[in-house]
Amino acid sequence: MRNSTYLKMGLNMLVHSKLRSWLTIIGIVIGVGSVIGIVSLGDAMEANVQSKLAEMDLTNIVISPGYTKASSNLHGGPPPGMGGGSSTDSELTDDDIDALQGMDSIQYIAGSISGREEVKYAGETATLSITGVDPQVWKYMTSLKTQSGRLLEPADRYVAVIGSSVASETYDQDIGVNQVITINNKSVRVVGVLEEEGMGDDSKIYMPIDGAVELIEDAKEDVYDSITVKAKSEDLIDELTEDIEKKLMVSRHIVQEDDKDFSVIASKSMAESVTEMMSSMTLFLGAIAAVSLLVGAVGIANTMFTSVLEKTKEIGTMKAIGAKNRDILMIFLFNSAMVGLVGGILGVILGSFVSSGLQAMMGSDMTGGGGVRFTLMLEGLALAVLIGVISGVVPAYRASKLKPVDALRYE
Amino acid sequence: MTFTEIINSFKTKLNPSKFMYSLEKEAIFYSESENSTEENNSGENLKSNPSFNSGDNSVNNSNAEKISRNKEVPLIKLTNVWKLYQMGEVEFAALKGINLEIYEGEFLVILGPSGSGKSTMMNLLGCLDIPSKGTVYLNSKDISKLDESELAIIRGQMIGFIFQSFNLLPTLNTEENVLLPLEFQEEDRQIARQKASYLLEIVGLSEKKKNLPSQLSGGQRQRVAIARSLAVNPPIILADEPTGNLDSKTGDYILDFLDGLNKREGKTIIIVTHDLELIKYATRVVYIRDGEIEKIEARTKDEPGTENEPNLN
Repeated sequence: MRNSTYLKMGLNMLVHSKLRSWLTIIGIVIGVGSVIGIVSLGDAMEANVQSKLAEMDLTNIVISPGYTKASSNLHGGPPPGMGGGSSTDSELTDDDIDALQGMDSIQYIAGSISGREEVKYAGETATLSITGVDPQVWKYMTSLKTQSGRLLEPADRYVAVIGSSVASETYDQDIGVNQVITINNKSVRVVGVLEEEGMGDDSKIYMPIDGAVELIEDAKEDVYDSITVKAKSEDLIDELTEDIEKKLMVSRHIVQEDDKDFSVIASKSMAESVTEMMSSMTLFLGAIAAVSLLVGAVGIANTMFTSVLEKTKEIGTMKAIGAKNRDILMIFLFNSAMVGLVGGILGVILGSFVSSGLQAMMGSDMTGGGGVRFTLMLEGLALAVLIGVISGVVPAYRASKLKPVDALRYE
Repeated sequence: MTFTEIINSFKTKLNPSKFMYSLEKEAIFYSESENSTEENNSGENLKSNPSFNSGDNSVNNSNAEKISRNKEVPLIKLTNVWKLYQMGEVEFAALKGINLEIYEGEFLVILGPSGSGKSTMMNLLGCLDIPSKGTVYLNSKDISKLDESELAIIRGQMIGFIFQSFNLLPTLNTEENVLLPLEFQEEDRQIARQKASYLLEIVGLSEKKKNLPSQLSGGQRQRVAIARSLAVNPPIILADEPTGNLDSKTGDYILDFLDGLNKREGKTIIIVTHDLELIKYATRVVYIRDGEIEKIEARTKDEPGTENEPNLN
């Protein structure tokens, strides 16, 4: 018997199948739909993160006090010395910068301080994060860009560059270039407004470190909350990170890894771990969706078993008029493959809706928008057919092994 | 060529008296011809065959020359055949040492009450089952020595089945049902469709090609089943109570048709039944009771009523 005949017979069975088969198909539709939806949502989010990361400067290495691997980049907690978090009361000072100064791979090195202070403007007060940076090198090290005004210049002292949301959202009245804000009762002139960045960086205020040290209460001269190193090239990052660690351990007289009181984190490795996190999240959600596919597969198998039972007499008849075991096997396999295929097609459609629905809910900020990849659709279809075939194998085999006499006698 | 053209060409080109002959040999679409050695010498009888709606009702009594070839080598031979069933701890013998030879061109009626073992015998004759003891030879081949797929090939090519309950596939339409055996034989599609429409023409169901079995009457269904059984042009037609589910008029039509196949084409017809009425068509009757052959009776065939076209419905 030819494949086209198997196809025709399988299709005929599908077309004439009962409501039960369609319920089975719904199981596959939901399974494939959720897998496709979630995977393509994950894809979109990952692509979005990737594009954000591409804009990022990946040559930066941040050194921060305390050894808290996970969150050493997140400032705003109690400053060192207060014994906050798991960080020890270690601090980074000019000595550390001196120790690193002159390393071959380092292009720029600068310390920065940060703190949250009350910022007044036009009679309103808000608590904002102030970051003190080295105006000599900041404009070479940062990837931030201004939408108006300029970045900090070496001669600046009591001036500020503000994030876009500080400029337009924090206060009722928008802050423009050359306006004056008050930080801890000190007047500071705004010289630049940054472009919108997203991810919480828009509500920061950047100042020259010399000015900031006076305004931030807990800050001390020559003590930094973090030291940022810019490498000469991205390729040197891994090596440089290690070298910095070694050097600092020597200069800070630390012998054992366990006693380390600082962390060195490359923005590149952060980027990598973010990407990794995104894909493992997608994988996790996808796995949950796959469970529903599994349930769908069991449903197909169940329906196929019932169908074989129901069609016992027909199988007997077909065998009597010349069907070989293989013919019966193939007819039923084609049928269950087609159940999978139909479920897959509907599932891909559902998945596209689910994906675009979720993306709409999360906003284009998190996802890049865009539909389901074509290859993902094909994969979904292939998966559905595969599931159909696998769950149809045993019932089809049993159908093919029916003895013609017994099958004909079956009522 | 469209169907109508084909049918028309059949109608015009072929002398009705050679109609069946052509089914056997001439028609372009019969490629396999394991049975075509047979010489057809009964053409003049065709007019009385109810399968031809020729409108020519002239009675023609000239009997077909008895198909007497191959009298020496039986088509089917059963030697000391036993069929045992395990019923719990007891072994039950459905057939107890059957010896029977069936020759080509016979119209054999196997007659027995229910429980006599006749269905078991039909299963063995149809290669649907193999004996527990003894041998069934088909064309001098021992069927117990064949595996399942070889049996399937034999069934598909040698035997046309007609069942009491028609056994059409409910999801296939009339034409597809007739095409099915040809599909199993991987017959060329075009030729297969020509054959199918030809056969449906013969059984008078050309108009019902696209109907599902559920849209047909019992008699029509059985005619579809007959067309299906003839699709691969098998030398043997095996019918299990073919008229059991039909009223007597429709039943007569079916039997006349089978009789025609036997007479004009020399097809070997084996009918398994409990209905004494059927023996009038038989050239030989095998009485079976309690798994044993009670007697075998050779008959001179009665002429089927040919004065009237049987009611097709």
